[in-house]
Amino acid sequence: MSELDYVGKRILRKDGPDKVTGKAIYTVDIQLKGQLVGRILRSPHAHARILDIDISLALEVPGVKAVITGKDTLGIKHGFVETPRYPADQYPLAMDKVRFIGEEVAAVAATDVYAADKALSLIKVTYESLPAVFDPEEAMIPGAPEIHPSHPKVKEDLVNIGGKTASGWGDVEAGFQEADYVREDRFESHLRTHGFLEPHATVASFEADGKLNVWTSSQGPFIKRAKLAKTLGLPQSSVRVKKAYVGGAFGGKIDLYTHEFCAALLSMKTSRPVEIIATREEIFTAYRHGQPMIVTVKTGVKKDGTIVAQEFKTINNSGGYRGSGVVVIFLVWGFAMAPYRIPNMKYKGYSVYTNNPIRSPQRGHGAPQMRFAVESQLDMIAAELGISPIDIRLKNARVSGEMLPNGDNVHNCGLKDCVLDIAKHTDFTAKFGISRTEKQGRYRKGIGIGVSAYFGGSLIYPNSSSVIVKMNDDGSVSLLTGSLDIGQGSETILCQIVAEELKIPIEEVQVFAADTETTPVDIGVWISGNAYVTGNAAREAAGDVRRKLMTIAAEELNADIENLIFQNKRVYISGQPERSLSYEELVALSIQKHRGDSVIGNGHWRTMRDEPFHPSLATTKGRWTENYAFDAQTAEVEVDTETGNVRLLKAVTAHDCGFPINPLQVEGQIDGQVSMALGHAFMEEIMMEKGRTLNPSWLDYRMPSICNIADSEHIDVITERYQVGKPYRTKEVGEGYVSAILAAIANAIYNAVGVRLFSTPFTPEKILKGLEKIK
Amino acid sequence: MTTTQRKKIIGLTVNEETYELAVECQETLLDVLRNNLGLTGTKEGCGTGECGSCTVLLEGEPILACLMLAVECENKKIETIEGQSINGDLTPVQEAFLEKGAVQCGFCTPGMVLASTDLLKRNPDPSKEDIMESLGGHLCRCTGYNKIMEFVHHAAKLNRDNT
Amino acid sequence: MYLPKFTLESPRSIEEAVSLLGSGEQTKLLSGGTDLFPRMKYKLCSPGVLISLKGLPSFPPQIDEERKLIIDANISLTAITLSPEILEKAPLLALAAQKVATREIRNMGTLGGNICQETRCLYLNQTHTFQFTEPCLKRGGKECYFAPKGKKCWATFMSDIAPTLFCLNASVIVAGLDGEQQIKIEEIYTNDSLKPLSLKPDQIITKIIVPKTQSPSGNGFAKFTVRKTIEFAIVNVGVFLETEKDLKTCKKARIAVGAVSEGPQRALEAEDWLAGKSLSKENINKVSQKAASSLKIIPHHGYSKKYLTECLKIQSKQALNDAVEGLADQSNRGR
Repeated sequence: MSELDYVGKRILRKDGPDKVTGKAIYTVDIQLKGQLVGRILRSPHAHARILDIDISLALEVPGVKAVITGKDTLGIKHGFVETPRYPADQYPLAMDKVRFIGEEVAAVAATDVYAADKALSLIKVTYESLPAVFDPEEAMIPGAPEIHPSHPKVKEDLVNIGGKTASGWGDVEAGFQEADYVREDRFESHLRTHGFLEPHATVASFEADGKLNVWTSSQGPFIKRAKLAKTLGLPQSSVRVKKAYVGGAFGGKIDLYTHEFCAALLSMKTSRPVEIIATREEIFTAYRHGQPMIVTVKTGVKKDGTIVAQEFKTINNSGGYRGSGVVVIFLVWGFAMAPYRIPNMKYKGYSVYTNNPIRSPQRGHGAPQMRFAVESQLDMIAAELGISPIDIRLKNARVSGEMLPNGDNVHNCGLKDCVLDIAKHTDFTAKFGISRTEKQGRYRKGIGIGVSAYFGGSLIYPNSSSVIVKMNDDGSVSLLTGSLDIGQGSETILCQIVAEELKIPIEEVQVFAADTETTPVDIGVWISGNAYVTGNAAREAAGDVRRKLMTIAAEELNADIENLIFQNKRVYISGQPERSLSYEELVALSIQKHRGDSVIGNGHWRTMRDEPFHPSLATTKGRWTENYAFDAQTAEVEVDTETGNVRLLKAVTAHDCGFPINPLQVEGQIDGQVSMALGHAFMEEIMMEKGRTLNPSWLDYRMPSICNIADSEHIDVITERYQVGKPYRTKEVGEGYVSAILAAIANAIYNAVGVRLFSTPFTPEKILKGLEKIK
Repeated sequence: MTTTQRKKIIGLTVNEETYELAVECQETLLDVLRNNLGLTGTKEGCGTGECGSCTVLLEGEPILACLMLAVECENKKIETIEGQSINGDLTPVQEAFLEKGAVQCGFCTPGMVLASTDLLKRNPDPSKEDIMESLGGHLCRCTGYNKIMEFVHHAAKLNRDNT
Repeated sequence: MYLPKFTLESPRSIEEAVSLLGSGEQTKLLSGGTDLFPRMKYKLCSPGVLISLKGLPSFPPQIDEERKLIIDANISLTAITLSPEILEKAPLLALAAQKVATREIRNMGTLGGNICQETRCLYLNQTHTFQFTEPCLKRGGKECYFAPKGKKCWATFMSDIAPTLFCLNASVIVAGLDGEQQIKIEEIYTNDSLKPLSLKPDQIITKIIVPKTQSPSGNGFAKFTVRKTIEFAIVNVGVFLETEKDLKTCKKARIAVGAVSEGPQRALEAEDWLAGKSLSKENINKVSQKAASSLKIIPHHGYSKKYLTECLKIQSKQALNDAVEGLADQSNRGR
């Protein structure tokens, strides 16, 4: 009906002015009166028993106000996953054992960092060193050092298994029998870090009234409150996590981190605010990175490219504790089964404890690893069968309304359009078809494609987003949300939705966000559900306000509700704009005539409202999401056959994102993901040796700079629409596009020079080896 | 060495205001801006000169405040992000930054703004390569740099239109 | 990250600086600080006293009556890239300076500081509070993490600029308690990773002298990196070609390589081979191969020796080709 004024528009960020003027206050900027500096003592051993910790000398250092060890804690474990099958497995400070180099053993609060570090150096820890293991495939074999007892429900003759996911349908053996062509390949993805610019940081202030105030650089305050309260033995109502701007997260700031616990406990011990900021080096050496993964995939196809069976085995290297290891082996199953029809599928994934630092989600959480494997292999199969990469993808792509074997419905699915549109846009077939014999000279170009699908919101604590929209006396509104803007622009899109529902200038929507005490609960900005789940909650809250305004307006104007039009902070009767009331007047009338109702709306949303729980991590049973986004991405690369250097010249992303709420921000997400994938493909690698990080700095860990920029174009495949007053189903845009592009790059390199790469990163050295320029 | 030499009284001119401060020798300009003057717009992303977040202009030239001793900035002119917009009016660089969607998390933004301001002062119509040369030391994880590139071109245009 | 505590001296003259250096305290010179301060923050060194060179009298690059180029050691890398004198007399130096790190670091870092930087190694350039806590040879310990059985330090010397000074046959003026002396650039390097510089504790490099060149000449500098910025070289190569009047025959070649060993290296064998020969594509390919196979290469920062050898060949060729192209431009302009 009416045209959209705010949703779908390139609205500038609400927080932009604060950020370009340096006024935005991040956690690292918070300076409270009497604030102490906290520092953490870490284990130099990959695996050891703690026999004794002597803090007496540390306490004598002038300026030191408190020293804590595991003995000062309640010994309550926590974990990224805390379920009956996967109970918490990590103490906030090591108690009996350390399981990786860098594990937190003690913490100090002092008046300055010199005193704090001096005290750390005087804490004497007596360890009994234990044998350690770092490679997951070695760690699984019986006889390997035991890091934790293997999961009791995994009955195979394996050790150090933190968890296993096993799933499937149909009969893969029969499928492979029926297939015309079968191949099996192994792909490995390496260790990378998130690379957020703001380091991990927390300020905790325990007040005289027993309230613990916490500012922490995170991806949502509610999970932090829950885990802090639990591990500190405080009621949730005594812990308040407040908003500060967040300088990037990318999956690395979700779970409870020990520095957060330590800042809080040190503040409780000293009754003074305590700040802990991780050094960049600590983040590189001892904090959580993404998930290195081994993916073995066996695929059987018919001559025409139809997939008949696929079997997967994945192994993650989870580090000393479970972290998100048992989640990623579940998720990669989902990323394997979502884009293509697989009539017969068998999947097993193992999360393996090793004596490495813990792993966490990282943008895409397993999708790049899985799509790199599947999409690389699909190109090999297509080449073998003489089918084009486009056709084999179209042949197997899911279509609208398709039910997935887990009971999910893909609803409106634009995957085929993504593939068709991108092929046309890039002139794929012609470029791909240039034979390698025609490609001569030092620099050789190639093009490749990949496909991916990503979920938007699932059921993970707290499972719900609620939003409050309050009218103010002047007719402007205040929006209260627990959602935290980590740079992705959540506050701006929520404002757009409220502005649209209420037809109010976006400048007159004020946001109050991410404060556990004053804003309603929110799912957090880490399962790609903000635009859909929190967005719909905001829409409902604004709708509540809209209904109230409408009721009063209908009464006062003596009009039918259906005939009322909202525009520019006024309500008028259709065709009679002179008969109108301003929001300011309506609020006053509501208070006067509706027993003081000051017009407050609330809304809430839960994805898959009929599902009680998240699907089983062990069996994948139960629904996963109701919101699949799809994309196809192409990469055009240029290989320097002398140096082995590969440049990503152009990335194109054709995506079914439902509809873009803010196209400007969507572009920012796409570009950022292309760049992150470019880093994954060519540049970034955490180099580790026996649990120690060799390159713990941005100098030696090479994140892309502006000199490595790739052209990034995009094609929107619109499959949903926004209508005022109605629920919508937009899809995620923040994580899905780090994946297909990775495979597209690998496929483009093959197209350019005939070098097939089975492991990331695609270094010049590997290219030169592939070209047989070096042995 | 006497202990008095560890601490020096220095005059610092930051954003055209002069401060008299007692500063220890080892304190960096970044420490003093953030901790003593409360100018927290200048960020510490690494502290070892690898990310560009702490860039300020010293005598008009972009430098890394994390690798500069405060005592060595005595009587020199320092400009930080807080001094860029006067009375709330954004500079063309800041405006372009917003308009082109070059801000996401914002942590690299102050350094990017200052480095671009310096670039456009030296070179009113920079090429892609010129921008790479000037902003090559500024890591940004959010944007992929595409909109960073766009905003500098746009700021150059705004500057030219203004003059 | 924070700096350990120290006191700062800001001498106003070289003599004062030298006497402070020689005063016996645990002192270090502070020039741009871009190499020293990260090392101090990583606690690789904690000098009690820093002697800042920033307050010394400075002078812009000069060409003296013998047509020698004289450069203040305290010149910033940015100033090198902008100096008309340097661009005229030693463009190779400007090519290398332009490739160092980032604009901000080039604004801060100095010529003297760059050529006096410390050697680097993945096991070294980090704090050692819980990783690699047992000190390695370079940190005064007994073992080497890179080559655990060896008794030698393998840290590499990464300066981009030093190799070009080798190519330019430059010297440095060193001030010390014994007065000033001029030393060939090659002689300030020890090829010992533990102590890469031969300077005595009281000595300061004050000037860099680039002698007059006779023939027409071509310059090439190649730095190979992954990121093209904020990065030390995988390998770097400087090339300076003196030619006959035809601009096509090599009279004398000077090729120097950095980042792959304990100090900058001249590719002497390759240089000798090229002297007197035509600068043809074929000869350039051959001489690049010679440079790569004759020089010492230490695997560093995760790169294998085989890969670095190939890189060195390709980058030598790149630098030589750039030099030859520059000569061709001169030749075209000459017409």
